[in-house]
Amino acid sequence: MTTISSEQDAMGASPALPAARMSRMSKIGLVVLAITVAIPPFVVTPLELTKLSRLVVLVLAVLGVNLLTGYTGLISLGHGVFVGVGAFAMANLIDQGMSLFLAGFLATLFTGAVGLVLGLPALRVRGLYLALVTFGTALAFPPLLRRMGTLTGGVTGRTVDNEAFVPPSLLGLDDDVHIWRYGVCLAIVALWFVIIRNLVNSRMGRALRTVRDNEPAAATFGISVRYAKAGALAISAAMTGTAGVLQSLLNPYVSHADFDSFLSLRLYASAVIGGLGTLAGAIFGVTALILVPTVNGALELLDSDAIVFGAGLIIMTFIAPTGIAGLFKARDRGKSESL
Amino acid sequence: MGLVEAFWKHLNGALMELFVQRCFDGMFTGAIYASLALAIVMIYRSTGLLNFAQGEMGLMGGYVTLTLLSPTGAAGIGIPIAGTAFASRWIPLHPWPAWAAIVGAVAFGALLGAVVERFIMRPLTGRSALSQVNVTIGLLILINGIVFQIWGSFSRKVESPFPNEAADYFGILGARLRYTTVGVWATLIVIIVLLTLLIQKTKTGLAFRAITSNREGAALVGVPVNRTLTIGWAIASAIGALAASLVGGAVTLSPMLMLNLLIYALAAATIGGLDSPRGAIAGGLIIGLTQSLSPPYLGIPTELTLLPPLAAMVLALAVRPHGLFGTVPVNRV
Repeated sequence: MTTISSEQDAMGASPALPAARMSRMSKIGLVVLAITVAIPPFVVTPLELTKLSRLVVLVLAVLGVNLLTGYTGLISLGHGVFVGVGAFAMANLIDQGMSLFLAGFLATLFTGAVGLVLGLPALRVRGLYLALVTFGTALAFPPLLRRMGTLTGGVTGRTVDNEAFVPPSLLGLDDDVHIWRYGVCLAIVALWFVIIRNLVNSRMGRALRTVRDNEPAAATFGISVRYAKAGALAISAAMTGTAGVLQSLLNPYVSHADFDSFLSLRLYASAVIGGLGTLAGAIFGVTALILVPTVNGALELLDSDAIVFGAGLIIMTFIAPTGIAGLFKARDRGKSESL
Repeated sequence: MGLVEAFWKHLNGALMELFVQRCFDGMFTGAIYASLALAIVMIYRSTGLLNFAQGEMGLMGGYVTLTLLSPTGAAGIGIPIAGTAFASRWIPLHPWPAWAAIVGAVAFGALLGAVVERFIMRPLTGRSALSQVNVTIGLLILINGIVFQIWGSFSRKVESPFPNEAADYFGILGARLRYTTVGVWATLIVIIVLLTLLIQKTKTGLAFRAITSNREGAALVGVPVNRTLTIGWAIASAIGALAASLVGGAVTLSPMLMLNLLIYALAAATIGGLDSPRGAIAGGLIIGLTQSLSPPYLGIPTELTLLPPLAAMVLALAVRPHGLFGTVPVNRV
């Protein structure tokens, strides 16, 4: 019987040693990225910038999927749930009168704990069971939210008190609240990227990749497979929760309709299309997540963008199994990864 | 019968009636879940792949049934059904009677399954399990998008091939066992008998079992692996199309329908054991009954009927990870 984690070639790119220094491609990429994210505040309207920020923070959810699927070999089809849990936890913690920082921190921790509780039964078994449980949760999540009364605002949704999410007065940015918010979101996203970069290059990251590539061998090496998987799941859920926290702060209104099962499926598709097993993959993935609906909306081609994500997932598996990030990587190394 | 019924009624009154009625309702949905679970198990047994697109492939079959049996311009809620104009022009004798439409949809399902195997799954042979699963998830999203694009998001009533008027039921213990429920179970039993005959008595079945037990070995001794897998996918997909077409007896067809059904079927397959056809049937029944009995007896609101089956699946994973009838795998390092 085949399981994902038992496959040697599960993800293609499996660096034996952590990249101590950045490759030239990565440096160029970082510069391009820095320039790209600096452009929107100058060219789009405040409303559009807030909308964009809400999508940009989803890069954390895509990276969360990537950490789980790309680095650990576990499939989650329910990361939209964690975005929702983070958002609603944040809304309720603010109600308790907490500072934004503390509320955000606690909401992130809470989402990590939820991920752990959901995944623990599924992690006992190898294979695709986590995908089943998370997918089921993603489907049950919106009806559950509708029944949760004042915690979630039921059918109509609820407001979030984000009045404290404004620039400190001594910065003198009072007219540019949206730009400040965009910047804060980028900073928090960057912080998570640094954490995950260090994590995947650490002892734990190597443990995760070994679990992904060969579970029995990982156990033989003395890696606690269950702790490794549970840890990856908790961190992945937590960072996805942060995406929800930021989303709820950007748009002070959250409802069950924002977190349907297709959000989870889109997040998964974006992670794969962007490229599993690389940090850059999450950035390419969220770019797809932003561009596809925008372009589709502008051209009015399709009733929903599901066709693009579905077809993209299939086509990328055939022509570029390591995703968009893999295309760059292959050129950088002068050889293509066989998958 | 009348005497027994009267006796039970005397003994238990309305409570018994409710219980039996709920069991019958659960049996109907259980049969649908069991058929889809059976399709999933067939693919899993022969290829070790969990086909997440199984439900959506069936969904397309359900819509083909709808198109084949609806007259041109037929309007459930005032909006004509896409494809009926095309069908009435190119398909002889359209609109078809319900049973013929279902036969047509099953044939379409078989073709779809064969095409997916031949042009999408087969080129991925030898690639990682993750790649293959990703493609089935991609198919799930893609086919759902296509169905949404063609037929829209409206809920549509599909005519049942079995008598489905208000008075079409057997009265048992004061509860109503509807003809559709009996019909769906009869269909399911016929499928199982045919599948068993196919697998036990025919050469294709022998090849199928050989591939299940050892794919490479089977290929080495000359078993036509590719052709057999194409047939396997065609059969599984046909069963899925049948399941989606029969759902019409109880609920309306909509693009979201099969996502929920898929999770019930996956839960059924997990509880029964992913590699056990017997388990799929038992699991389907368990899930169907859990779903119909939990609202009145556990006080779970009907919108949340997704939760008990999900909890049952999580419980099964915690207590008996490889299912009731599944085999416990042996791992080699």
